[in-house]
Formats: sequence, structure tokens, C-alpha cells
Amino acid sequence: MDFLQQLVFALVLGSSYALIAIGLTMVYGILKVLHVAHAGIYTLGAYMALLVVTHLTRNFWVALLLGMVAAGLAGVLIYRGVYYYILRRPRIVPLIVSIGIFTAMNELFRLLFGPYQHAFPAVLRFPMVITPYFLITQKQLLIIVLTTFFLLMLYLVLNKTRVGLAWQACSQDLSMAGAVGVPVDWAVALNFLLGSALAGAAGVLMAFYRNMVYPTMGNVVAYKAFVVVVLGGFGSVRGSVIAGMLLALVETFLGSLEWFNFPRDAIAFLLLILVLMFRPKGLFGRL
Amino acid sequence: MRKFVIGILLFMFVGLYATAETVKIGFFAPLTGFAAADGHSALAGAQIAVDFINAAGGVNGKMIELVYYDDAARADQASAIARKLIEQDKVVIAVSGSYSTPTRAAAKIFQEAGVPMISAYAIHPSIIETGHLIFRVGMGAPVEGVAGAYLAVKELGAKKIAILTMDNDFGVSLSEYFKDTALKLGAEIVFEKKFPLGEKEFRAILAQVRVKKPDLIWATGYYAEAANIVSQARELGITATILGQEGYDSPKFIELAGEAAEGVIIVTDLNRDSEREIVQKFLAEYEERTGHPADMVAASAFDAIKVAAYAIAQAGTDAEAIAAAIDNIRHMYDVVTGPFFAFLGREAIRPVEVQIVKEGAFRFFHTFTEPEIIIPPGL
Repeated sequence: MDFLQQLVFALVLGSSYALIAIGLTMVYGILKVLHVAHAGIYTLGAYMALLVVTHLTRNFWVALLLGMVAAGLAGVLIYRGVYYYILRRPRIVPLIVSIGIFTAMNELFRLLFGPYQHAFPAVLRFPMVITPYFLITQKQLLIIVLTTFFLLMLYLVLNKTRVGLAWQACSQDLSMAGAVGVPVDWAVALNFLLGSALAGAAGVLMAFYRNMVYPTMGNVVAYKAFVVVVLGGFGSVRGSVIAGMLLALVETFLGSLEWFNFPRDAIAFLLLILVLMFRPKGLFGRL
Repeated sequence: MRKFVIGILLFMFVGLYATAETVKIGFFAPLTGFAAADGHSALAGAQIAVDFINAAGGVNGKMIELVYYDDAARADQASAIARKLIEQDKVVIAVSGSYSTPTRAAAKIFQEAGVPMISAYAIHPSIIETGHLIFRVGMGAPVEGVAGAYLAVKELGAKKIAILTMDNDFGVSLSEYFKDTALKLGAEIVFEKKFPLGEKEFRAILAQVRVKKPDLIWATGYYAEAANIVSQARELGITATILGQEGYDSPKFIELAGEAAEGVIIVTDLNRDSEREIVQKFLAEYEERTGHPADMVAASAFDAIKVAAYAIAQAGTDAEAIAAAIDNIRHMYDVVTGPFFAFLGREAIRPVEVQIVKEGAFRFFHTFTEPEIIIPPGL
């Protein structure tokens, strides 16, 4: 019975990893840029939702929507305002710029909202599941249902629309795709919009789940998402989802053992080292 | 031009005059980073003490000047700050408004340089073991852990106890003394686990705790970890009493944990329901200045400054004389977390307060004054 309960925790944790890693892997797939500032977008989504909840309305759905919109737009802004101009430079350049943006965002949040953890007092009516074997609280069910919904939508966009086709073309060869008439600029901007909105959603969901918004909430997420993307194989959305779930499963079950007195977050790094040593293209990579 | 030169000379003269007439007390606290809420509380508490003392005429006719820096709760920054306070600011005495790890690092430097330091609320036992110039007004981990165990086993009647330990100086030292004493008093430890500082996800651990059906959970942590532990435990339907320590003692804990905070009991330094005048005066002043209720951290920083000022008033600016003056303190009533009965082993001996969260506020639950609890073991 305990097993099922732990499975629920892992599913919720894995959902958050998957949501944040998808945007990262989408950006890498097309631009080959390691977009560290993506974790800043995650925090931005949470702060936007916090502003809505504290100043506008307690309604969770409004907060989520506006959080996602703000995150999506910020993502496009980072692409069009920064990456766009340095894409042809060596790959280390956008990486360092990205780290700089992330650090600057953290500091900006600290200056604007103070270094404290803020409570996230959103209100939501949502069912919960109570069985003799396990319990899924309303927040947990919300995360599982919403993540499933987002993943389904993303699947449809990737596989059934012209946008998805354009992304595939771009990921294979950006200049070639442009040459055959794919509006590359729009495709990439849309890619950032969607990936960043998902990261924003992850930020809002975790802020609601843990009742906490704070400037450095993206720090652990930044490297966790990186591990998930490497694990899943760079650029593979499906791989990121599976890897996110896998990491959450390992963390949850190892972390619950009484004798396991190590930092839970270190597991991700151990996995990273193992994958890079024995299967550098990732579990599902095509590199 | 001549007026300008005279102006500058006058300004320098006034400046010299002003610095000659102040006594500098050094101060450091985490004003940024994960511990920022505590750092700002500590600074506000210290400033209130300075203002109270200066309003009453200062010490020996001189005004107190608080020189403070941000250590971000990091040992490396605290060391650098200690050097700065000693060499550049030439403070007479320093007060740590920071956590155990940075305080330990700074204490060593102050001791070596021959400048006394008072730790406001950092609890690790080794801080005062640094040397004869290092003091503490807040409870040390031995007292806090032992008091927690007496509270759990004797007052609350707990037989099966689960222990969650934050894996840093703070958590490990507290749980060590708690566990030893709880076992001695006849309780059974049914679960024990460490977690890293900054952990947010306790559900997997708490599900294991639930299986062991403890009547009480001793969980160490700062307010953010504490809020997560408490709300996630209640979410999982764990009804056992949760016993915390001074790390919980912040309005942020109640804000973040919300309704789950109700009924949580903590061992701490500050009794908000005390009828002593200085306590109520401090609480009112703090709330007026900051807009939120005071916590143990602010009260301890206030008291550390009071002790520092008292010692300077008694002994002047000589380090050894200041240390002797603090050692000789007996029955000091003009402090918020006291009264301090004495300083034994450079540690303030005082009642241990127990507070409970009721209707979104910390309230009186119990006070320990028994010598076997409030005097650190080994003294």
C-alpha cells in the first residue's frame, strides 16, 4: 500500500520535471542552445501568478493562465532580444549568455519581491482521490491531470500540425528549412513561446503545491532539468518525459528509505555521470 | 574658496568629534540568500536595542554605533566580515545575528584577534568552545535538545518518537541531544532520518513515518523546511504532535504552513505572552517598525546587544575586561528572552520557553526553569 502512495508522489514530482525539461529540450532541438535561463522563466511564471493571486484574484485558473502567458512572452523576448543575435557564434557564447540571464533574473526577483519565501494563497475547487491504499490530494491530482493535458496537446502540435512539421524541419537543418520556405523566425519564436509557457505552468503548479514562491526556486530546477534532458537524449521530447518520470521514481523510492541519508538532489548528478559514461547520447537520444 | 575650505575643515572636525564619541559594535546577519528573513529580523532587533540604549543616554556618555554587514549565512563571507570589523571598523565587540555555520567561522577569527563576540541565536555547541572571548545569549543546542526531550516525554507523554534531522550544524546538534535524552527518559525512537538543508519534498519520508505510527515527531529545520514538513505531514493525515525548535520561530513559518501550523509546539527563547515590561515594549516597537510580529531571532539579537552594551558600560573598551564583565553577569532582568540568571561557561542561563501555535500566532505553552534542563550538560 505504501508502494502505491510513493508512486503517486513520484508521478507528481516527475510531472514537474517533465514540464520544465520539455521546453529546454525543444529549444535545444532547434537552436542547439543550452537554455539555462529557462529555469528563470519557471520562476517568472510563479511570480506572475503570485502577483495575480495577491493583487487581482484568488482564482487559481486565472493565475495559471497569466503566469503561462507572462512566461511564454518572456521566453520569446529572450530569444528575439538576445539569442537571435548570437546564434552564429560558437556554442559556448549563448551558453554563457544564458547563465548570465538566469543569474540576472534571480537577482531581479530578489530586488523586486525581497529574498523571502512568499505564500501562494490561490483558491481552487478540484476533486481528490481517497482509497484505502493511497491518497491523491487535490493539488496532486491537479498536477497530474494538467501535465497529462499539456503533454497530449504538445503531442498533437508536434505530430499533427504544420507547426510541428516546421519544427522538425528546423531541428534537422535551420538554414535549409529557411531555404525551402519554412518561416524559421516564426517557428523558433513559437517554439520558445510554447516551451516557456510550459515552464511557467510548472512554476505556478509547484508554487501552489508547496505554497512557496522565492527568488532562487529555479536553482535546483535548472540543473535537474539539465539532467533530465541529458538522460532523455538531447532534443527528444518523449525522452525528456520518460526521463523526468524515471528520475522522480528513483528519487522518491531511494529518498524514502530510512538508511538513505544522502541529499536527494545528488541522485540526479549520479545518474548524469552514469549516463555520460555509458550512454552519452542519452536513453532515447538520436545524436 | 575660503568658506569652502573652512566648511570642509568644520565637516572633518565634526566627523572626528562624532566618531570619537561613539562606541562601535560590529554585527553580521544573513540579509540575502535563503536565511534572509531571519537576517532582517535580527538586524531590526539589534537596531531597536541600539536605539533604546542611545535614547537612554548611551553607554558611559557615548552613543553606540552599529556597524553591520550581510553574510548570506555563508561561512566564507562571515570570515571576511569578521576581519573587516576587526581591522577596518575596529569594533569593541561583535554580535553574530547569523546561523551556526557562519558564526563558528567568525568566532575563530574574533577570538584570535582578541575581540569579544556574542552569538545571538546560533546554537552549535562548538561556537562558545572557540575561546574565552566568545559568548552566547541564545540557547545552545544541548539545552534546546534536552528541553525538547523533557517536553516530549515528560510533559506530552510521548512513547514512540520519530526524528527528522536537517543535515547541517543546526539540525544535527539538536537531534543528537534530543535523542540521547529521550532514550534516557524511556521513549522509543521508531524512525530516524536526515534530509538536506533546503529540501522541499518530504512526502516520501513522511509516508514512512506514518507507517511507524509515532505519537510525536521531532523535526529540526528552519522555517521553510519546517513549513513544508508540517503541511505535508498533515496532508498525509499524520496527526502526531509535531515538536519543533527555534528554527520554526518566525511569522514566516505560520504564513507558509497556514492551517497546518495549528497545534505545532516549539522550544524557543521568546515568550510572547510574558508580562515583563521590556518584552511587551520590545514586541510593540518591533511590530511598529517592521509591520509584522517579532520572532526569537529579533529578540535574541536585541538581548545580545544589551549584554554587549552592559559589558562596555561596566568595563570600558578592553577586551579582557569586557569578557570578565559578561562572565560576572548575575540576574539580568532588562532582556527580552531572559531573565538571565547567570553566565556559566560563557553561556546565558535562563528559562527555556515553549510556545504553541494557536489561531495563527505563537502562544505560551510552558516554561522550563528546572536546573537539570536549563543548565547545559557538563557544567
